[in-house]
Amino acid sequence: MVDEIRSKAKELLTDGTVECVIGYERATDGVTARPLFAYTAEEIDRFIMDNTCVHNLARYLLDRKGKPTAVVVKPCDSRTINLLVQENQIERDKVFAIGVTCPGVVEAHWGEASDEAQPRCVTCSLEVPAVYDYLVTMPGERQTRTGFPDLERMETMSPEERREFWERQFERCIRCHACRQVCPGCYCPICFVDQLDPTWVGIRNAPPENQVWHLIRAFHLAGRCIECGECQRVCPVGIPLMLLNQKLAAEVEGMFDFRPGLDAETLPPFAVFKKEELEAER
Amino acid sequence: MSRFLSREALLAWLDGLREGGTVVVAPTLVEGVSLYRQVPVASEIDLDASVTVVSPKEWLFPASHTIFTVERKDGRVDLRENTFDGRAVLFGLHPCDALGVHLMDVPFLAEPADGSYRERRERTALVGLSCIRCRPECFCTSVDTSPDDPTHLDVMLTLVEGGYVVAAASDKGEALLASAKPEEKALSLPEPPAPEKLPTEDLPRLFRALYDDGYWGRLADRCIHCNICSYVCPTCYCFDMRDYPRGNTAERVQSWESCQAPGFTRLAGGHDTRGSKAAKMRQRFAHKFLYFPETFDSQLSCSGCGRCVRACPVNIDIREIISDLKKIGVSSVGSGEK
Repeated sequence: MVDEIRSKAKELLTDGTVECVIGYERATDGVTARPLFAYTAEEIDRFIMDNTCVHNLARYLLDRKGKPTAVVVKPCDSRTINLLVQENQIERDKVFAIGVTCPGVVEAHWGEASDEAQPRCVTCSLEVPAVYDYLVTMPGERQTRTGFPDLERMETMSPEERREFWERQFERCIRCHACRQVCPGCYCPICFVDQLDPTWVGIRNAPPENQVWHLIRAFHLAGRCIECGECQRVCPVGIPLMLLNQKLAAEVEGMFDFRPGLDAETLPPFAVFKKEELEAER
Repeated sequence: MSRFLSREALLAWLDGLREGGTVVVAPTLVEGVSLYRQVPVASEIDLDASVTVVSPKEWLFPASHTIFTVERKDGRVDLRENTFDGRAVLFGLHPCDALGVHLMDVPFLAEPADGSYRERRERTALVGLSCIRCRPECFCTSVDTSPDDPTHLDVMLTLVEGGYVVAAASDKGEALLASAKPEEKALSLPEPPAPEKLPTEDLPRLFRALYDDGYWGRLADRCIHCNICSYVCPTCYCFDMRDYPRGNTAERVQSWESCQAPGFTRLAGGHDTRGSKAAKMRQRFAHKFLYFPETFDSQLSCSGCGRCVRACPVNIDIREIISDLKKIGVSSVGSGEK
C-alpha cells in the first residue's frame, strides 16, 4: 500500500504536478511516525503508512499557500481541505490529495504505539476521505465505533460538576497554545490572545485567563472543527479538548444539520441566514 | 558508611520541614500527568517519578508571576512588590534538572540579577534524586552532567533497597539534613545507567559555520511552532511582561514566552525580524548551542533531559539535530581537528 503512495508521489514530482509531497516517515523513536516533506524521489522512499500515522498533514497546506503540494490525507484530515478551500485559505487546484482509507489510528506517543484507538477514531463515521485525487486503501480491521461515550458522560454531570471538571483540566494548562498551532482551523493572522491593544486575554497563565482561552477557542471552532483530534493529541498535559469540540459539533449538527468539511459546496451555518431560522427561534 | 533514610523516614523528614513552614515542591501526579507542585503532605509526592512533563523551573520561574501591584488611592500611588520570604525545598530533581537550574542561574543571577528569581533561588534548597534508569531520550552525559552527579544540588538521594542513601552536597544541604535523622549503614550504591553519548564537542563552532545552511528550513518544514519545547524545557527562560489593569490597581505580570510563538519578534508596525519558519527554528537551537555559550563564556544551554524530544508532536529531536550538525559540518567545513 505504501508502494502505491510512493509511486504516485514520485510521478507527481517527476511530471511537475507538485513541488513537494507531504507524507509520513518513521520518527527517531523507531515506533511512531512524523511528517516528512519530500522534494526528491530519494526522500519519497522514506514514506511509511500505518496506524501510527496520526498527524493531520493537511494543516501544513496553510504554510504552503500558492505552492503546488501533494498531501497524504486520512478521512478526518481530508475534511481540512474542504474547510480551507471553502474559507478561501487555499486553492483547490494547487493541492493534490493522496487519500488513504482508514480503519482508525492508534494512540501513539513518543516511544510507544498502543493498540488502543485514538478517541477521534471511536467517534469517526468516515472510512473514505471526503475529498481525494487518488485513493489508496490502508489494510486493517476497522476499529469499533462506540459513539461519544465521554461526551455522554459529561452530559450527565450537573453544571457544578462540569464546572469543577473543567476548572481542574484548565488549571494545569501551560498556555503553550499548541492546540491552536496544530489546528487547521486556527489561522487568524493575530490570535485574540496575542493582541496587545486591546489585550483581550493576554498570555498570563491563571485560571480565569486559561478558561477564557479554551472556551473562546472552542467557540471559534463551532461549526468549523473537522474533528481531526490533533489538539487533544498534542496537548502536553493531557487536557481532553475534543470533548469541547465534540459538544459544539453536536450542537451545530443538531441545529443546522451541518458537519464541516464533508464537501466544499454546502455553505456553513455561520455564513448563511435562512428566514426559517428566524421562524424556528419564535 | 553511608547515611540511610527509609522511605518512611524520608517522608517524615519532608513533612517535618513542611510543618516548620518550608514549602515542599515535588513531582506529583496531576490527573495522571507528572508535574512539579507544592505538596500539602509528603505522601503525595510521586517518589518514582522519572522526568516530569514540565521541568521544575516552574517553581523558580513560574509560568506567570506578578512582579508588583500598583494601586491609586486617596491621591497617591502605592507600589507593592510581590516577595517570597519563606523557605522552599525543591525535591526530586534528577541531575539533569539540577544542571537546568544552574543554567537558569547563569542569566538570571548575572548582574544586574533578576530580583524575584534571585529571591526564590536563594530561599530554595535543591534535593536531588540520582537516576537508576534512563529513558531512551536522555543524554545528560553529553552536556556536562551524569545520572549520579550531585553538582548544583544541596542534597543527593540514591535509591537503594528499602530507602535512600542520603548525602549533603553543600553546606545548605548539610543544614537541611539536620532534622533528617539518618541511620549509618554500610551500603553500596547501584551502578548508574549510561545514557546515549552525542557528539556535542565543538558545537558552537559547527553551528556558526552552518548558520545559513538550508538544513534549518528543511527542519522547520514540519515544525508547527507550538512552544511546547520551550515550555517543558528546564533551560528556556524567555518571558514577556504585561500590565493587567483593573479599576484603581494594576499588576505587572511576567509570563513564559517562546521564540517559536507568532508574535515573539513582531515589532511595532508589524515587521517580524524572524518571520520565516527557518529563522524561528534555528533561533531555539542557536540560543542553546551558540549564543548562550558565547555570551556567558560557559557550557551549552541544554540539560540533556530529553523533555522536548518526548513532548514534540512532530518529532523535532534535539539529539538528531546535534548529530546532523556534526555530519553536515564534517562534510562541509572540515572536522575541526587540528
